[in-house]
Amino acid sequence: MRLSTLEFYIRETLLSLRRNSLMSLASISTVALSFLILGLFVLLVINLNHLADTLEAQVEIAAFLDSELAEEEIGRIAREIKALPGVKESEFVSREEALERLRRQFGERQDLLDSVEEMNPLRHSFEIKAVEADQVKVVAQEVAKIEGVAEVKYRQEVVERLFSLTRSIRIAGLVLVVLLLMATVFLISNTIRLTVFARRREIGIMKLVGATDWFIRWPFILEGILLGLLGTLVAVLILSRLYDWVVTSIYSSLPFIPVLSPEGIMQPLTLLLLGLGFLVGAFGSLLSLRRFLRV
Amino acid sequence: MSKSYTDKDEIRVALEWGLEWGVKDMIKLCNVSKVYPNGNVALQDISIEIEKGEFVFFVGPSGAGKSTLAKLLLREELPSSGEILVNGVNIAKLKRHQIPYYRRGIGVVFQDFRLLPDKTVYENVAFAMRVVEAPRREILRQVPAVLHLVVLAHKSRSMPSQLSGGEQQRVGLARAIVNNPPVLLADEPTGNLDPETSWEIMRLLVEINRRGTTVIMATHARDIVDAMKKRVVALEGGRVVRDEKQGTYSCEETKSLEEREIGGLRKGFGLL
Repeated sequence: MRLSTLEFYIRETLLSLRRNSLMSLASISTVALSFLILGLFVLLVINLNHLADTLEAQVEIAAFLDSELAEEEIGRIAREIKALPGVKESEFVSREEALERLRRQFGERQDLLDSVEEMNPLRHSFEIKAVEADQVKVVAQEVAKIEGVAEVKYRQEVVERLFSLTRSIRIAGLVLVVLLLMATVFLISNTIRLTVFARRREIGIMKLVGATDWFIRWPFILEGILLGLLGTLVAVLILSRLYDWVVTSIYSSLPFIPVLSPEGIMQPLTLLLLGLGFLVGAFGSLLSLRRFLRV
Repeated sequence: MSKSYTDKDEIRVALEWGLEWGVKDMIKLCNVSKVYPNGNVALQDISIEIEKGEFVFFVGPSGAGKSTLAKLLLREELPSSGEILVNGVNIAKLKRHQIPYYRRGIGVVFQDFRLLPDKTVYENVAFAMRVVEAPRREILRQVPAVLHLVVLAHKSRSMPSQLSGGEQQRVGLARAIVNNPPVLLADEPTGNLDPETSWEIMRLLVEINRRGTTVIMATHARDIVDAMKKRVVALEGGRVVRDEKQGTYSCEETKSLEEREIGGLRKGFGLL
């Protein structure tokens, strides 16, 4: 392609955008809206996954031991736990340590613990992590069989519920996004159709003086791509502002909820959305050219 | 003759419109009929030969088949039967991607001018060169030269709406010849013009023809045809009713000629 041809294309494309400004604006807004929603879903799903991963890593089996056990008994139990298949690591927590942790959690209300200081009611325990989240239950059952283990506790339900929530959001988001993308493609193709209609004289003359099919098509494809990219750009700008704000407010008011920082996540998301906007624009105009521009 | 802007495209070279293969007749219609899908018979068994450098009038009432003939030559339509050979190539056999290159060899002028209203005179003419991706250098040289030829150099920055009908048609003419096509096809070019301006256009067509371009003009302006003393092909109801050259050629000969030419092209360029 010649440089002067490219210049010609760009001039024609911009001219056409201006001529159809209202319709172009409508397309850009639809693209922006669709991609904003798409982006929000992606951010939500990524963060829920992150949350589930974090919680999953925290899934622990707490094995409480019988109260009066000798040192060597504890050592034997430790070895037996380590020997179990599916155990990633286990850590011994003495009753003194447990009390210390409790003290930290209570923070300023230390006085509540003063009464138990004398006769610590807590038990020795092992904190065990499974290699895989879905093995937690089996491992817990095995640990419970070990002699000297009084009670086993684990919290998996929360994580399981979170995973199923993420799954449903992902499916609902996918359906919504596909519908929105279809609407976007349709609107872009409609805009291009209007452009083709507005420029049918030019197209007729181009054909007669021997312009190739692709020479005639390119400005329209460029216009579609431009519509897609402009809409995506608007969506990305809004999205990054919004996410910055959400992350900042969560950090300040609900610091224990793990959210991904905008720095790491917005750049790949922007690239993804821009790529998708490009494709949607190109696809929309090709669709319209196939139907309305028989060159 | 026409510049080759896209040397790599073989069909361009094949249709360089020279007479390298000894084709005497630039355009040859052999028993061409055209029946439209709605059953309308536009052309019936037409056989015409047009030589390189000729000036031919096609006359006849509306509906005689003049515009169908133009569409066939531009390959907007295909003949229902018969063959159209241009420079020895059966244009019905052109592939889709070859058609634009074929069309670059035919300049077209219309009754309604068909200028782009939002482009200047200069841009309208340059447009025809831009879309065939002519080099900028070439455009800068060729457009002013052609505008000078049609005596519109001083109005190159005007918009079409600021011009008279005759001037607009001269812009149309400039656009048609700016790529140096070997054939100029004019469909009622004076149909919307008063007699005086019509003669201006005719003078230019003669000048273009004198420079070697084959001119084919469809019209029903009797006085112009009579005064010009050029070859006249009269059509009526889709048939040729008068042609000075009628009977001086046969289509039997054409058949073998066509096969030879296509064979020659195939050998030369590995196409068709």
